[in-house]
Amino acid sequence: MDGKVKKQKQHQQKHSGPKAEKKKLKKQNGSTEEDERKRNPKAFAVQSAVRMAKTFHRAQDIKTKKHHVPVVDRTPLEPPPIVIVVVGPPKVGKSTLIRCLIKNFTRQKLTDICGPVTIVSGKKRRLTFMECNNDINSMIDLAKVADLVLMLIDASFGFEMETFEFLNICQVHGFPRIMGVLTHLDAFKNNKTLRKTKKNLKHRFWTEVYQGAKLFYLSGMVYGEYQNQEVKNLGRFISVMKFRPLVWQTSHPYILADRIEDLTDPERLRTDPKCDRTVSLYGYLRGTHLKNKGQVHIPGVGDFQMSDVNFLPDPCPLPGTQKKRALNEKERLLYAPMAGVGGVVYDKDAVYIDLPANHVKQLQEEVRPTTELVQSLIETHVTLDAKMAASKVSLFSGSAGLDPTDISEVQEGLREIHVWDAHTQTQRRKVVFTGLEEEEDDVSGSSSDEDDDGSDQENQEEEDDLSTFLKEVRDKSEKATKGSTPPVKKRKLEEMQGEEEVIAEAPAFADSEDELERGEADSEGEGEAERAGDSGHCSKESEEDSDDEEDGDEDDESMEEEIGADDSDEEEEQGKYHSGTFKWKEGLQQKASAAFLRHQEAAPNLRKLVYGSVVEAEDSEEEEEELGGLFRVNRPQKSKKVQADALDCSHFNPDISHNWELEEMLNSIRDCFVTGQWEEGQDAATLLKEDEELYGDFEDLETGKVHKGTTGEQDQAETDHQSGRTKSESDEDETDDEDQQVKMDDEEVQKNKRLEKKRRLKERFDTEYDDGDATYFDDLKEEMQKQAELNRAEFEDMDDESRVQYEGFRPGMYVRLEISSLPCEFVTNFDPHYPVIIGGLGTSEGNVGYLQMRLKKHRWYERILKTRDPLILSLGWRRFQTIPLYHIEDHNGRHRLLKYTPQHMHCGASIWGPITPQGTGFLAVQSVSGVKANFRIAATGVVLDLDKSVTIVKKLKLIGYPYKIFQNTCFIKGMFNTVLEVAKFEGASIRTVSGVRGQIKKALSTPPGAFRATFEDRLLMSDIVFLRSWYPVSIPQLYNPVTSLLLPVGQKDSWSGMRTVGQLKHDLGVRNKPSIDSLYKPITRAPRHFNPLHIPKELQKALPFKSKPKLLQPKGKVPRDLKRASVIREPHERKVAELLRALSTVHHYKKKVAQRAHHAKHKEFLQQKEKDEEAKMKRMKDARKKLYRIMGQKDQKKQRSSLKGTPQDD
Amino acid sequence: MASHGLTYEGCNFLRQRLVLSALSGKRVKIKNIRSKDDEPGLRDFEANFIRLLDKLTNGSTIEINQTGTVLVYQPGLLYGGTVEHDCNPQRSIGYYLEALLMLGPFMKSPLKATLRGVTNDLTDPTVDLLKSTALPVMKKFGIDGEGFDIKVRTSWYSRGMAPGGGGEVVFTCPVRKTVRPVQLTDPGKIKRIRGVAYSVRVSPQMGNRIVESARGILNQFLPDIYIYTDHMKGANSGKSPGFGLTLVAETLNGYFLSAEMLSTPQGQGDPILPEDLGRNCAKLLLEEIYRGGCVDSSNQSLALLLMTLGQQDVSKVLLGPLSPYTIEFLRHIRDFFQIMFKIEVQKPLEDERKGGDKVLMTCVGVGYSNISKTLK
Repeated sequence: MDGKVKKQKQHQQKHSGPKAEKKKLKKQNGSTEEDERKRNPKAFAVQSAVRMAKTFHRAQDIKTKKHHVPVVDRTPLEPPPIVIVVVGPPKVGKSTLIRCLIKNFTRQKLTDICGPVTIVSGKKRRLTFMECNNDINSMIDLAKVADLVLMLIDASFGFEMETFEFLNICQVHGFPRIMGVLTHLDAFKNNKTLRKTKKNLKHRFWTEVYQGAKLFYLSGMVYGEYQNQEVKNLGRFISVMKFRPLVWQTSHPYILADRIEDLTDPERLRTDPKCDRTVSLYGYLRGTHLKNKGQVHIPGVGDFQMSDVNFLPDPCPLPGTQKKRALNEKERLLYAPMAGVGGVVYDKDAVYIDLPANHVKQLQEEVRPTTELVQSLIETHVTLDAKMAASKVSLFSGSAGLDPTDISEVQEGLREIHVWDAHTQTQRRKVVFTGLEEEEDDVSGSSSDEDDDGSDQENQEEEDDLSTFLKEVRDKSEKATKGSTPPVKKRKLEEMQGEEEVIAEAPAFADSEDELERGEADSEGEGEAERAGDSGHCSKESEEDSDDEEDGDEDDESMEEEIGADDSDEEEEQGKYHSGTFKWKEGLQQKASAAFLRHQEAAPNLRKLVYGSVVEAEDSEEEEEELGGLFRVNRPQKSKKVQADALDCSHFNPDISHNWELEEMLNSIRDCFVTGQWEEGQDAATLLKEDEELYGDFEDLETGKVHKGTTGEQDQAETDHQSGRTKSESDEDETDDEDQQVKMDDEEVQKNKRLEKKRRLKERFDTEYDDGDATYFDDLKEEMQKQAELNRAEFEDMDDESRVQYEGFRPGMYVRLEISSLPCEFVTNFDPHYPVIIGGLGTSEGNVGYLQMRLKKHRWYERILKTRDPLILSLGWRRFQTIPLYHIEDHNGRHRLLKYTPQHMHCGASIWGPITPQGTGFLAVQSVSGVKANFRIAATGVVLDLDKSVTIVKKLKLIGYPYKIFQNTCFIKGMFNTVLEVAKFEGASIRTVSGVRGQIKKALSTPPGAFRATFEDRLLMSDIVFLRSWYPVSIPQLYNPVTSLLLPVGQKDSWSGMRTVGQLKHDLGVRNKPSIDSLYKPITRAPRHFNPLHIPKELQKALPFKSKPKLLQPKGKVPRDLKRASVIREPHERKVAELLRALSTVHHYKKKVAQRAHHAKHKEFLQQKEKDEEAKMKRMKDARKKLYRIMGQKDQKKQRSSLKGTPQDD
Repeated sequence: MASHGLTYEGCNFLRQRLVLSALSGKRVKIKNIRSKDDEPGLRDFEANFIRLLDKLTNGSTIEINQTGTVLVYQPGLLYGGTVEHDCNPQRSIGYYLEALLMLGPFMKSPLKATLRGVTNDLTDPTVDLLKSTALPVMKKFGIDGEGFDIKVRTSWYSRGMAPGGGGEVVFTCPVRKTVRPVQLTDPGKIKRIRGVAYSVRVSPQMGNRIVESARGILNQFLPDIYIYTDHMKGANSGKSPGFGLTLVAETLNGYFLSAEMLSTPQGQGDPILPEDLGRNCAKLLLEEIYRGGCVDSSNQSLALLLMTLGQQDVSKVLLGPLSPYTIEFLRHIRDFFQIMFKIEVQKPLEDERKGGDKVLMTCVGVGYSNISKTLK
């Protein structure tokens, strides 16, 4: 043992030789996991089945957790622009950001951001920017329609309450995409604090939104704008962003209005300026299909019925589908009517044009095109006007007796008047002329032009008199040199097309007319039919826009008549048919039913039969009433009447013309049965043969024999033989010339057959092998996919006019809604900075009822909420004030009323409010007015149940007092007032405060309300008896929509509804008079007085001697001489004593100090001693060690020598 | 905020209007109910139907004027639960059951309705017919489950023929939040025909006579025919005598076409021979097959309603020619739900022997969801 540590040999990596080669090869190939598994199977063997199962389960859990319930993809092919809401506290840079983004996308400058701004950002994407001002109403409304939220945060300040409020609002109404944008980063001078702040803000933002949410940094301003590169990056992010569908948005249609026109009759306005207005609202339809005439809610205004909806050409269309990378200048469109910008705007009855000058530059030099433009414009205007005039006739068509010539005369006169009207009184209707002026110069162009524009708009909006009109006309003529043709031309072209269509359509309708029907109609009476047709025509134009024959006025009158007559005829026939359901042996019935079936056979008529005739019927009814005037024409046996009161029965009586005795009739349904003939491809024989084809060829390996399937040609011949009897017949007469042709055909057929065969093989293979691991989830997804495809394909090749009738208006369309009775404040107090949202309502969402919801007070809200305090809820589209009652569900399902919401727990809340589907989230605020420092969202929750009755109860304890007590029975009074009340509670269980239980038995006659009760134990007179009962609570029916949009401009954030009792008292200075018992009073305690202890004589006798009260009696006074005298010192003595005391104190102190010193010394001594001892011990140890060592060595020596045997050198 | 209602005239299609009103939540006003009639106003059976609707709903208000010629119905929420109702014997239970079938899936709690009255009569589809055809149609829409059934014969009496009544039917229906869209476009071929020949308070031989005559006609097409005979006597047989036949043809794709025929009620009209009845009923079935489609003529409106109330997806169904009742129903659907159907007529090919014209009805659902159902 030389004590040297043996070092291990270091690994020498081979750089050459076979080993190195091998390794290199391995490295190049890369060892896969499979290899390892093969190489070292033991390491991967199953160690524990349980562990294996667990890991498997865990893996599966994680996999399935990622699944969402698949939904049908209902996104339209051309989606509406994405709504980007820019939110943030004031002065954070919202408008600047929007301006920069718009400039980035469209190269245009928009100075004032008013209302939504729609731009085309790419080939497949449009964006609508909307700025959200610092009003909780706007925040709530915009959170409901936003697809993407750009949340601006002032980094130099940090988070503000608005940010968190908005995030919470978003959470409740479905979480749209949220992207944070940090601004004011140039305020940081120190780089380190900047970095730190960024990090802090980022992490806080992540906890609110989700981990890894995108936060953008806008580092600083250059000339009042954000840096170009950063804005560009932000724009890129926005244009590739994907969105998730939100439940509320995908189940409701909604529109963010970007244009609003007041259509009210000017005369009415003049006579009654406060009258309800007819307003048309424009915007892109989003969400889901919108049905005409449905109900809508405008948050901040109220519920309305749409009087009309129609779609307009897209003002901001996506570019065509040419293959190119970027958009050209003309395709970068910007549309913001509220901000006074927008290209060509088509309306139902007018055209608005705004031409950015940079597009028109080239055309400016040429004069001809411009005049052409003007010419065409005027032409366009005329045709539109004609349309409009025609539509206006309905106003004057009150008297149904007018003949068509009269009507046309009136139309002529009207048109003139209307033109004049439009220019003098309605502001925006006829901007066909003024639209021309709306031209902008270059982006940097002269501001005077823009000013001019502005003034023009003002004119349009405010001034009504003739002088403005004249001025405008003059302006127009001046500026007529400018302008461009393209858009207008296009428009004109469209119109031409439309007219052509009309012309093309007319004969088609004529075709569809049945000759027989016409004959019948004639026989029914031409004159009546004519009138019906006329009235139908008028109202159809004005009211029934959904009807696809909107160009009916351009059709000739006779056509209309025919249709009308036809309708009425059909109706009548149907009536006859129906009325006769029970007397079906009559010949009339037969005829009618035959006609009815014939109607059904004619394809275009069936739709008309179902939907068309209703309008007609109503019209004819109207006419009947109005025609009468003073005398009403009574036609008791009118077929419609008969039908109206006919028997309500769903039976469909059989067609009498079918005689099921005849062989041909029987033959006509032969193939409906499995015994009949099958279609090709489904026939069992064919299927079998095809299988043979597929699997026919095989080689028997044992015998080496090759089996061939039937060849294609044979097969072909056979199928021919089977299916097409007629064909084989015709084959026989074929000439040789034709043979060639047939062969060619055959080849084609063969090829198809082969292809078909291949496809089938592939299909079979797929079903056999791919479906192996297809889960339920996959199946579901596939089903949804199929449905989505069907949804897309079904109405694809239909024109929009008719498509709209079936589907409703589909999202992505630019629509115009007309609402007839909006409050005038909506128009007069309109502020484009506030969003106008038109939210469609579902089938019964227009009704009001009781809602039961789950509610939780927000943890950041400082106070708890009180039952019956009015609260403003944001639920569905609506914001409304209501009075909630809070309750909690007991274990037995009882809803017990709570006075206040619990602190950190959910509770139930019941309100009277609009019916909203279950599962809809809501949030509550106590007031929407003003800005408060604190967090404003008071509570959040979800709707659970809708009902028309309430089940909340509150505990009521009835108290009574016993007035006579027998054993366990007693008489109790004071609980009830009459015998009847007692009778209602007979058998009810009662209890005393001390816990004795009992039961009400029977009422007593006197005093009224007293009763007999039995208890489980005897009561005391001092007991209080109570009966615990539950009293149903009614919910106050307050539903008060927040009408913030109706408030004057500038005060829109000051809506206040019903006040709480506390607020009222505070405002009015009312103080409650508290009950006297609740007041604090000074505590006065009477001195306690103890009576002397009195021991009875008997007891005294029994007491032991020493305890006898006689002995315990006080002993009396001690005599004076026995008392010790107190010592009173002389002044000298006192001094001496004082001194002695002082001395002794000093002495004590000295002693103490000395002792302390002694202690210290002693301690030191002890330490020293210990040290010495230690040293001594060490010395001794060493000595001993030495000694033992020597002894040991000696021993060793001795041993060695003894082992060696002989001592060698001693 | 009160929803403005719809106004109709006349008592016809009263059920449709009230049912659609209850489903859509729209108020409905019906004027001039038999105003020109000798006995103006609502009939007993209609009043009875309104009473049944009132039992099923919560918070609905019904106003009828003194003469009964004007009815205003403000629907409440559909409540469901256990309902017992004595139907008026003027109409059979089928009259009431047709409405219940439409409302059943959209209740707050699963419906269990016990209806007493006439189970079979001439004017309305009988309970047997509805059981064998309406339920399969609803199952296609995803309304299915354990308790989905119409049961005749629950207590000691069951079948009640026309004038007297005295039958009892229990209809149980589960609750659904949404209805799924369907594509019922390929009816398939008829694989079998089943039927019930019932007779009460008459000779039990009647059933056999009916069966024989009906088979005589149907056997020309199909061998797989089985018609059960169901004879009731004593307490089970209701209050009036009568007999009848219900035939149901099932296709390969699981659709049902049906026909039925009954004897004339006691004391009304000429008596009918069971042989004639069997033959006529078989012919009616052939007529129904001739009309074709995936849903038979008596359930057209039910299928169309469920399509309307589906998700916002395209549903398609192939029907035979539309019955007048269905046509009016389509108009009402447009009034209440603003839904129009795309109606395409499919004409049979020249050499095809599959009956008459078919009508392919296509619509996009309104995205209706059951707002009565409680969320837990």
